[in-house]
Amino acid sequence: MNYRLPKKVLIQTLNAWAEQAEVFAPQKREGYAQFLPWEAGNELLLDEPHNTRFPPKAFFLPQSETLLTYNRKLSQLEMPALQISQRIIFGIRPCDARAVALLDTVFATADNPDPYWQTRREQTILVGLGCSEPATTCFCTSVGSGPFDHAGLDALLTDLGEAYLVETFTVRGEALFANLASANANDAEQAGTIQQQASALLEPAFTTDGLKEHLDQIFDSYLWSEFAQSCLGCGICTFLCPTCFCFDIVDEAQRDERVRNWDTCMFRVYSLEASGHNPRPTRAERTRQRFMHKFSYWLEHADQFGCTGCGRCVRYCPVGLDIRAMIRKAAATPSEAVHVN
Amino acid sequence: MSTDSIRNPYLPTPMHVLHAYYESTDRTLKTLELSFDNPQDSTAFFRKFNPGQFCQLSVFGKGESPIGVASAAWEGDFVRFTVQKMGAVTKALHKLQPGDPLGMRGPLGNGFPLEAWKGKNLVIIGGGCAFSTLYALTKHVQHPQNRPDFGQIVVIYGSRSSGLCMYKHDIQSWYKREDMEVHQAIDIPEEDWTHHVGYVPDVVKQVAPSPVNAVAIVCGPPIMTKFTLPALVQLGFPPEAIFTSLEKRMKCGIGKCGRCNIGSKYICKDGPVFSLAELNALPADI
Repeated sequence: MNYRLPKKVLIQTLNAWAEQAEVFAPQKREGYAQFLPWEAGNELLLDEPHNTRFPPKAFFLPQSETLLTYNRKLSQLEMPALQISQRIIFGIRPCDARAVALLDTVFATADNPDPYWQTRREQTILVGLGCSEPATTCFCTSVGSGPFDHAGLDALLTDLGEAYLVETFTVRGEALFANLASANANDAEQAGTIQQQASALLEPAFTTDGLKEHLDQIFDSYLWSEFAQSCLGCGICTFLCPTCFCFDIVDEAQRDERVRNWDTCMFRVYSLEASGHNPRPTRAERTRQRFMHKFSYWLEHADQFGCTGCGRCVRYCPVGLDIRAMIRKAAATPSEAVHVN
Repeated sequence: MSTDSIRNPYLPTPMHVLHAYYESTDRTLKTLELSFDNPQDSTAFFRKFNPGQFCQLSVFGKGESPIGVASAAWEGDFVRFTVQKMGAVTKALHKLQPGDPLGMRGPLGNGFPLEAWKGKNLVIIGGGCAFSTLYALTKHVQHPQNRPDFGQIVVIYGSRSSGLCMYKHDIQSWYKREDMEVHQAIDIPEEDWTHHVGYVPDVVKQVAPSPVNAVAIVCGPPIMTKFTLPALVQLGFPPEAIFTSLEKRMKCGIGKCGRCNIGSKYICKDGPVFSLAELNALPADI
């Protein structure tokens, strides 16, 4: 169902939602865009050319989260009550919503579903804002997505100038906008043009035909050490990545808690074994792992790239490693060019 | 919103130590036999359990360690593990005494494909403390109900020294059995040692088990596995008939935390048991 949301009622819509649920919307604080709780009187930031610095994945997989608490009396671990109220994330970009849908294939699985993820996901409505003017670091169209992709979204907004066209995809998305007037044929047509123009602005940054097969063939290439030479191993590409989900589980004995923290394959200890053996001892193997996971292994798990083209790793890499250029270089590397260890 | 409806896969089952004893003379290997606090947990465990699987043993305040199960279901209402003292968790596990509480998550992983091995001869090759899951396998097939499912059984088990040899008394009794052949080896000669001396790959070549209608199962340190697999190939075992169990650093044990992958496979969930044919199809990320 399509609705028309006049811009002048947007703030009042957010205010009304905020009375029923926790609403998060992009706002500027400490000099950059972030998803912050919405309160009446706040200033909304929707015209930022770049996405929020942190992807909204922490709404579902917090950077640090208590999994279990320790009951000293019973000498047992217990699950703490996980009370998540109804939440609406407004203004999430399609790349980040798609990432949430991708992570469902990891956490909302038939076998061993993750109850922490599931609860947060069930309680959170995602209202997306399509990208009429994608940024220079964006490459969603290169990885099977697009600036108006609605994967993972409950509703999607297209900026028509004076108003937004609202497309709803789920019952709960529908419920949020049902009191609005329906969009007319003209609105839908205008939105279609805007969506097409935005997609056209994003020329594919690389070709994905046969990419996985080629990457599998150059697993032993010298290329990975070449990439790793400029990599600092800081891990920011993974921490800011909306699809990176690796975590560590540690006991915080002083707090009587077992905690899950974000982890990264870019760190040496990530795969270091008790014997001292490490299957990924240098940054070359670790760079390869990050790259191969997103552009080869994900395809086998979910038949989709584990990258949504948000461009954060490109924008925030301190040494300017650009995954798009890396892919182009990998694609151009002949599979015979294998170095001998 | 309640999460009660979803079983929490991170929540350990409450257990306590039934027996704890050193397995090796240097006290680096300790065997723990664990008993379930709640009978329904035992039922749930044994419904899923298969030799070759592992569990995450949990000492609160220290963390979790993945350890292979070293007992067969028919041995009783307990789960046996042999733990090598390596880091914080395994040190804490070594300190446990009978009656002490601990947590356990599992059984995890696929275990040995016993159904597919029915009717085959088994060549069981182990080295060091990795023999523990092979001990579970051997115990399983030794049961009178299971034994007719399999043909000849050859066990080749090497340790660095006789003092590091696990399950000594039980293995000693295997020599008397007519339904199996046992070859034990140590790396360096010792007084009074009457069995093989040498590294496992060499002992395998010497024993030269027949590949006819047989599967070979190899568990050991990476260096042993590396040289044993080609030795088996040379003896005529096809890659589909050679199996090994892998280890990696693990956290969740259910294919979510990311770290134990080789290519697109997670050792914790898709493994730890793989055939050589399966491994050959994966990238060399071991």
